[in-house]
Amino acid sequence: MRELPGKGDDVRREYISQQQRQHGRKVLAVLPIHYPKELLTAMNLLAVELWGPPGKPRGPDAGRIQTYVCAVVRNALAFLASGGADVVDGVLFPHTCDSIQGLATQAPDFGGWGKQVFRFLHPKGDDRPSSRTFIRRELEVLAVELERLTHAPLEPEALGRAIDLHREIHALRARLVDRRRCLPVDDLALYTALRRGEFLWPSDHLGELREAAAVLDDTTAQQGTPVMITGLVPEPMTIFSALDEAGAFVVADDYAAVGRRIVRDYPKSAADPLDTLVDLQFAGPPCSTRTIAQQRRIDVLEQTFDRSGAAGLIIHMIKFCEPELFDVPLIRRRFEAKGVPVLYLESELERELAGQTVTRVEAFVEMLRPVQIQIGSVT
Amino acid sequence: MISRRVQYEVAGRVTGPILMALQNYQQQRRRRRRSPKDNPFGPPIQCARKMKDLMSIYYYQGRWADGAVPVAWITSGFPVELLRAFGFYSVYPENHGALCAARHMMPELAAVAEDAGYSRDLCAYARTDLGSVLSGNTPLGRIPKPDLVAACSNICQTVLYWFRSIADHLGVPFFVLDTPFVYGDFKQHHLDYVSDQLLELSDVASRISGRIVTEEELLEVNLRAMEGSRLWGECLDISRTCPSPWSSFDHFYHMAPIVTLRGTEACNAYYRELKDELDDRVAKGIGGIKDERHRLLWDNIAIWPKMRDLSRLFATHGFCFVTATYTNAWRESLPFWDPKDWLRSSAKMLSNTILNRDLKNRLRVMTGLIEDFECDGVVLHSDRSCKPYSVGQYDLKGALTRELGVKVAVIEADHADPREYADEQVETRLLAFMESFE
Ligand code: SF4
Ligand code: SF4
Repeated sequence: MRELPGKGDDVRREYISQQQRQHGRKVLAVLPIHYPKELLTAMNLLAVELWGPPGKPRGPDAGRIQTYVCAVVRNALAFLASGGADVVDGVLFPHTCDSIQGLATQAPDFGGWGKQVFRFLHPKGDDRPSSRTFIRRELEVLAVELERLTHAPLEPEALGRAIDLHREIHALRARLVDRRRCLPVDDLALYTALRRGEFLWPSDHLGELREAAAVLDDTTAQQGTPVMITGLVPEPMTIFSALDEAGAFVVADDYAAVGRRIVRDYPKSAADPLDTLVDLQFAGPPCSTRTIAQQRRIDVLEQTFDRSGAAGLIIHMIKFCEPELFDVPLIRRRFEAKGVPVLYLESELERELAGQTVTRVEAFVEMLRPVQIQIGSVT
Repeated sequence: MISRRVQYEVAGRVTGPILMALQNYQQQRRRRRRSPKDNPFGPPIQCARKMKDLMSIYYYQGRWADGAVPVAWITSGFPVELLRAFGFYSVYPENHGALCAARHMMPELAAVAEDAGYSRDLCAYARTDLGSVLSGNTPLGRIPKPDLVAACSNICQTVLYWFRSIADHLGVPFFVLDTPFVYGDFKQHHLDYVSDQLLELSDVASRISGRIVTEEELLEVNLRAMEGSRLWGECLDISRTCPSPWSSFDHFYHMAPIVTLRGTEACNAYYRELKDELDDRVAKGIGGIKDERHRLLWDNIAIWPKMRDLSRLFATHGFCFVTATYTNAWRESLPFWDPKDWLRSSAKMLSNTILNRDLKNRLRVMTGLIEDFECDGVVLHSDRSCKPYSVGQYDLKGALTRELGVKVAVIEADHADPREYADEQVETRLLAFMESFE
């Protein structure tokens, strides 16, 4: 089996300083989940996403937030306060949930982050005229604020080019995820490659995605039991080794960090590139953190599931993640009513998968085999 | 429809009040038979019975609301004034959660939600209320079905997920009023966004109610609501006197009308009467507790299932909560009200809630309350299932101790879930805190 580039790559720091040295780029640490990456690219800003980081908190400041708050936020505070992100020039906090909202004032106002701070508030609820007007203004204001870092205004042509670049990235990411069956690599390799987009400069990421897409092979179907997975972020990544060892692979993805950020109907370029960014806000798959109508989210999940031919659904939650947890009952109900086997896993960002969880994954995949055969005989 | 409307009006004006009078009479007889207990509290607030009647009639009338008038289930920070102008009857799932918790029904209702897959880590109000929606079980007898479910993000984003789930379950339209979180100063485009949504909300309300409302009508309800907030603020401010004629535990109880009946004359009349009584208590030197030696600030939501135990524990040791960030929230935006521009000033008021602003603002508000009410201590309720109110509290503790020299205690509990409350641990913690004042 061929390896995709970037597997096991742990050189973020080096990469960042190389970007700063060679390209004179400023760097922003970005908290989850949704933010206008195209805008950052157009302003020559490298986005490095901060999903915790996973593992044990790096320093005592995690203790400044109660243990009943998710580890993404607790670890992020510890990481920022311990100097883990000193190499970057500022932090961008998207307005994702109550916990990130709290962190976005706690770290800069009470210690933990002394450099520049930016916030991006995306509208909640469905697409409506007020939210379109708002998001456009929010993008304009953010661009002006980012000039504090870049000392150069946002150029519409640069934004247009960034949009084109990201359109291609979305299309390639969609290809890799949607044609997973024809990709002769394991999940860990695929997700490592996809998640390198969380810190690579977009054209570097695009290059890697092209290489990855080059190994797509219509003649060799992926072996094993196909499953669909939903959740916030694939951490710990050993979830994929556990699936692999159990004989399964992810055929459809709805992780907020991965599949839910792939825009398949990427908007056409408008005369004013900011209008394209506005359209983009409402073009992605429904996400709990945007407060899109629940039924719409579940409908999309169901369609994705049906298209993919998955034999079962894994709901992989991060403990204390409020936005996601509210959707779990409905997802379960809808899928179980369809007769789809559902496995609910709750993992903690600070720890590796528990042995018990691995056993549950094995048992689930074992149970799916007859379902898979049935699906195989129908299609 | 007409007969339903008649039932609804009769319930509110005739049967409700008669039933309350009857109930009061029976209770009075029972009370007379009971021997007066020696307790650390001042004489009870007489208005409390009126408030109970007011709220009971409101809930009772609600049983006939659907089919008679449009019904909305809304969050506590939602602009009810606007819906009221369109004739809506409003239901507050948060209050309902608090009521269930205070009546010790929470574990039973939460179990229904948890069995349906709602995690025990979610907001306890949400679990309680969802349990009630799923089971139909409620201490109110019956809750009218909504024509609209509407949530405002000015208290938290959790309500958006929770109310979205209710709307989905009941199959009714869902309206989000998104109030962008305020870091530092207000941003004009954020306020414009809220104003735009208020206009969209008017359209939705008009469509559902089939009514057209003039600006004058809207202004009239808003003026009444502001008058209610002003009166509520005045009642709270009376606690600046020493001894305070009522404590924050009383405030928690008496805040029900300003949350649920804001914009009605009944609400305002109630607070006028309450204020008179409180003024009278001040004149007579009557305190909320008998022996007020220390004055405290409470931060975060009340611990509803433990109100009685906690109020007694503090009162026994001469500690009186005289102010709370929570109860203050229903008066804090009043300075932004401008009758000449209800739309824009409403947008600012809605955005200004303590939970919709950064921690620096929270510290400023707390500092102001500590100084104005001459508090010498603070209790921060670290609320397990309320993240927005709890994140940052440890840092607030440090800042208050450093900057104001007040004593601060943090207690770990939950606003509604008694299973997250360790009696012994909390009591030991609080006794040590109170001893530190000696
Ligand atoms: S609560 Fe959920 S969405 Fe928010 S930071 Fe934590 S994991 Fe992310
Ligand atoms: S208790 Fe907290 S989380 Fe729950 S609805 Fe209220 S503010 Fe939101």
